[in-house]
Amino acid sequence: MSKKLYTLIGRIMDVPVTELNDNSSPETIPSWDSFNSYLLLDELESEFQTEFSIDEVVETKNIADIKKHLKNHGIILDD
Amino acid sequence: MSNGKLSYFMNKSKSLKDRNFDKTIKIALLSSYTINGFYETLKVKMSEHQIGGNIYVGAYNQYNQEILKDDSELYNFKPNLTFLMIDTRTILGEIFYSPYSISAEERKKNIEKKFLELKNLINIFLNKSNSKLIITNLHVPTYSPYGLYETKTEYGFHSMISDFNKRLEVEFMKNDSVYIFNFNQFVSKYGNDNIFNIKQFLFGDIKISLDYIPFLADEFLNYILASLGLSKRCIVLDLDNTLWGGVVGEDGFDGIQLGSNPQGNAYVEFQKHLLALNQRGILLAINSKNNLEDALKVIDDHPNMILRRNNFSCLKINWSDKVSNMKEISQELNFGLDNFVFFDDDPVNREFMKSSLPQVHTVNLSKDPSQYSIILQNLKEFDTLKITKEDSERNQMYLEQQNRKELQNNVVDLDDFLKQLELKVSLKLANEFTIPRISQLTMKTNQFNLTTKRYQEEDIEKLAKDKDFFVGCAQVVDKFGDNGITSVYIINKQNKKEWIIDTFLLSCRVMGREIEKAILSHIISDAKNNDVDKIYANYIPTQKNKPIENFLSNCGFKHENDSWVIIPKDDFKLPDCIKLIEE
Repeated sequence: MSKKLYTLIGRIMDVPVTELNDNSSPETIPSWDSFNSYLLLDELESEFQTEFSIDEVVETKNIADIKKHLKNHGIILDD
Repeated sequence: MSNGKLSYFMNKSKSLKDRNFDKTIKIALLSSYTINGFYETLKVKMSEHQIGGNIYVGAYNQYNQEILKDDSELYNFKPNLTFLMIDTRTILGEIFYSPYSISAEERKKNIEKKFLELKNLINIFLNKSNSKLIITNLHVPTYSPYGLYETKTEYGFHSMISDFNKRLEVEFMKNDSVYIFNFNQFVSKYGNDNIFNIKQFLFGDIKISLDYIPFLADEFLNYILASLGLSKRCIVLDLDNTLWGGVVGEDGFDGIQLGSNPQGNAYVEFQKHLLALNQRGILLAINSKNNLEDALKVIDDHPNMILRRNNFSCLKINWSDKVSNMKEISQELNFGLDNFVFFDDDPVNREFMKSSLPQVHTVNLSKDPSQYSIILQNLKEFDTLKITKEDSERNQMYLEQQNRKELQNNVVDLDDFLKQLELKVSLKLANEFTIPRISQLTMKTNQFNLTTKRYQEEDIEKLAKDKDFFVGCAQVVDKFGDNGITSVYIINKQNKKEWIIDTFLLSCRVMGREIEKAILSHIISDAKNNDVDKIYANYIPTQKNKPIENFLSNCGFKHENDSWVIIPKDDFKLPDCIKLIEE
């Protein structure tokens, strides 16, 4: 499932999956602008069939945060 | 309804190479809200239609400034088509949230004022630009602070927005430079809960959720196609299982499905929608493998038939292949192949059309006839920016043209297409599993049937046990799926040196694919291995089996007395396109 997450982020941000890690964020990925954040959250919601609260969206600063939120939604990401 | 995710179009647009397109157009997008992703989606969708060109995206919610300023980037860009996307919240401002903080009279004045502002803006644009302008009307929310009392309220929240839309429509009704896109209906179609995503709105003033931007882009694309004159003008229809259920050549006039039951009603429903398009000037034509007489009898005399002969501008009801027929229809109606939409229930015919004539829009028809009318209504290919009186008279004009032309039969080399089908013919014996179907085929098959001998199940059982007879059948599979047992052959081997083909038939479902030759080649090689000197066959003409009157002579049989004969020791070639499997 982790692979699925990274593939999705890589596709939306248009960066190779190998360049992504837990600390990847708008600071480290130039294409991660605000619009791509919405796009990412939208696709995460449909891919993992869940919905993030507005707090979760605001608190999401990097990939580790996304994983944390997914885990809180009961979505297990095994490597 | 399916469409790609927005990110698909975002990525795809990056990989679009600079190409020279036949058609180009300059599009401007102005909006009162965030439309990121729209540019990329439209670009990709245009390229899929071989349309190139530039798209200008105005700055976020700056449409007033862009239109008012003489030398704005918008005017310097010189668009051909300009889309102005406005939304209810922006136009109404605080009234959107508090419509009942003011009186009905004040609401009316407010709408009057908002409408005049927009009308003024549009007129300024029209004075400064040669572009056509497409404006989205306002979505009427389902919510009201008055709840169920809303419809009891004079000039209420919903009425005021509807009034705004109505004024917009009436004001520009006669103006060919301004079109109103019914955004309110667009929201109805897909649902407000889908189109509007509160989080996306709160975060980024996104008023059309990201998932639905591709759908709105489709709607806008229709204006682009129409303005470039790329609308389709003629629907070409198959008959059996397309305009009616069943096969008229097999099931007969009384056996086809047309009205009277749910399946039959599906075809009537489809025909009614086709008729409406015909009445507005879309031509209809027929491209069907059938006996002309059988088909015309249904078209002329069937009580539930909606479309009659004079609704069709061109009839190609014959045994030629569908691609040749399509080319002839194009010539006779005298417009290019890219003006045609093709409906056929058979995926093989559709694939043949798509691969041979990609210019023709071949519709991906559902297997389920109940969906035909829905699929037709969802086609946007007929959209034009103008419908005239002449359009509705066009049908008659082509009808006269048609009467001057004679029916012609063309033969086209189908080898390559047949090879692509990956045909497999499995030969099977008559046994408890196959006998019911063998009997059924002998009872039902009319067109490709050399002797038209009818055999009940018991008859087949008897023949299968009889040492002097051989009963075989064939299952046909191609890359699109299994056609099932679709051929039967019965050989009279009483005379060890001279076999007689008692029965040889093929279901019309698999006609025109060389299946018959593959089976014949097997019979002939079997005879050769058994030192048979001659194989006799008969063609017994009926009203229905005319399509195969030359089959035996085409396969090398020689006429001898009242019969046809072939010598097994002469080689008979198995068609290249078919893999024969003996089970």
